[in-house]
Amino acid sequence: MRVLVIDPDAARAALVEEGLQDVRPLEIRRAPDLASAQASLSDFSPDVIVIACDSPDRDTLESLREAGVHNPRPVVMFVDRSAPALAEAAVQAGVAAYIVDGLSPGRVRSILEVALTRFQVMQGMRTDLAKAKADLADRKTIERAKGLLMKERGLDEEVAYRTLRKLAMDSGRSIGAIARDLITYADILKGGRA
Amino acid sequence: MTEPPELSRLTLGFIPLNDCAPLAVARERGFFQAEGLEVVLSREASWANIRDRVAAGILDGAHMLGPMSIASSLGVGGETVGMAVPLALNLNGSAITVSSAVAAAMRQADPDAMARRPRTAAPLKRIIDRRRARGEGPLTFAVVFPYSSHNYQLRYWMGSAGVDPDRDVRLVVVPPPRMAVSLRSGDIDGFCVGEPWNSLAAHQGDGEVMIHASEWWRAGPDKVFGVTQAWASAHPNTLLALVRALLRAAAWADAPDHRGELAALLARPEYVDAPQTLVARSLRGALADGAAGVIFSGHAANFPWRSHAMWFASQMVRWGQAGADIDFTAAAQVYRPDLFRAAAAEAGLPAPLIDLKLEGARGEAWTLDQATSPIDMPADLFLDGGVFDPASPLAYARGFAVGRHLPPTI
Repeated sequence: MRVLVIDPDAARAALVEEGLQDVRPLEIRRAPDLASAQASLSDFSPDVIVIACDSPDRDTLESLREAGVHNPRPVVMFVDRSAPALAEAAVQAGVAAYIVDGLSPGRVRSILEVALTRFQVMQGMRTDLAKAKADLADRKTIERAKGLLMKERGLDEEVAYRTLRKLAMDSGRSIGAIARDLITYADILKGGRA
Repeated sequence: MTEPPELSRLTLGFIPLNDCAPLAVARERGFFQAEGLEVVLSREASWANIRDRVAAGILDGAHMLGPMSIASSLGVGGETVGMAVPLALNLNGSAITVSSAVAAAMRQADPDAMARRPRTAAPLKRIIDRRRARGEGPLTFAVVFPYSSHNYQLRYWMGSAGVDPDRDVRLVVVPPPRMAVSLRSGDIDGFCVGEPWNSLAAHQGDGEVMIHASEWWRAGPDKVFGVTQAWASAHPNTLLALVRALLRAAAWADAPDHRGELAALLARPEYVDAPQTLVARSLRGALADGAAGVIFSGHAANFPWRSHAMWFASQMVRWGQAGADIDFTAAAQVYRPDLFRAAAAEAGLPAPLIDLKLEGARGEAWTLDQATSPIDMPADLFLDGGVFDPASPLAYARGFAVGRHLPPTI
């Protein structure tokens, strides 16, 4: 089976490719967009095309059928009948699949399942990364706010932190948010950012 | 008294085009809020994504191409997902643009025809014939989706001058925001798309508008608002609240006094993401060319005329996208004048009492008396004088000199 993965996100495409290694027999190609995939469409003749939902190339891909060159049929609705939840999950995760020739539903399903899982893994990794970055930024802000309290009010580090924590608990906000406010107000009072 | 909506938080999809205006205005000017609806608008990258996300229930509803809602409901070119269209979003508002090089060649080939308006595709036919005689490859034209008013508009314009869009040119699909850049790069020689993307290409000096939609069909249909039939059945009150909000937003968008504010809103990065002056100019229409611009509300622009739905279905047959066995009645029933009337009554707006009319039969402005209160209607002629009678859609589809008429599918 020949699978073409079109995704501008190279890391995600690689992840999908890796996941599909268990599907046998399999040939796989990757392209960042449809323009670079054009050659593959004719000489590789994929059976299945997996494409990121947010790709602006989808309408062009669907129109290939119009030109009668290939015949990519969106499988989201096609999978819908056998596994409605899968179709919804795939669209939610941002993956669309197209079937080019008469392939059995089960085989397309297994490919879509792999792609879906990999898209979700990538989404999870991105969310984790964003959270880690935010946590790191918060930690730096809290350090600065602690420093301010220690300097301006002569508190020791432990008490400065407890002061921030109490403010956070009393106002129902995160320590990071309280620390940010404190720094902003301190800047304004110093005339730094009026 | 209106019933409370079943849902209060909704996500609606749109494509960056001027005619997403009713959705953008309903959100930004509080028309959704006034109906108790909290709406998130999701800017989508493709019409296919809109269709699939609406079908999978991730979007509650969306800005749609009229023909796409019909193709999806009838299973034309894909799987069947029943859509319901309770209102149209606009009349007119698109155009056909060709590259500066093609425009110059057309002018040289037939200066008289190029000086007349509306411009026919006769000069284009001349340069196509000449290119063929010289052994040059076909010109490439782009539309936004196979099932779009733009595809049918471009094909109609070409066909009426004897250019066969399937044989004499290469037709491709390009998303609206990419049209201007594809023309500039030389990937395409012309396109048909909604505004402001024609105005952008013209402004950048890469192309020239050949004919505005309102010159081809003086008050022709374009985008609609659609949901799945299942969603419509499950959320009847929410749907009516949505339609009321969109009708009021469309009326706001149509008011001449609001066009400046509308341009500023649409130009924002989260909506069309184009220069404000261009959006403003494209909303005014091509006044210098004497062509009417987009109509968001007046002249029953929001009414989902079933004759419009049937006209779209006739073009699917004309161009071989569907067989002659297409179910015209089912196509008509995708459009829901019943829902429009219910919402319009609650909103105190006039509504037509008929579902169908002859299309292309009015040379002058007229008054629709078969309505809850009389409605001023515009002339609606096609450039070739053709008239669509919804009583005989198949004969109409087969009546063109240029077309593909496939035998009934088995």
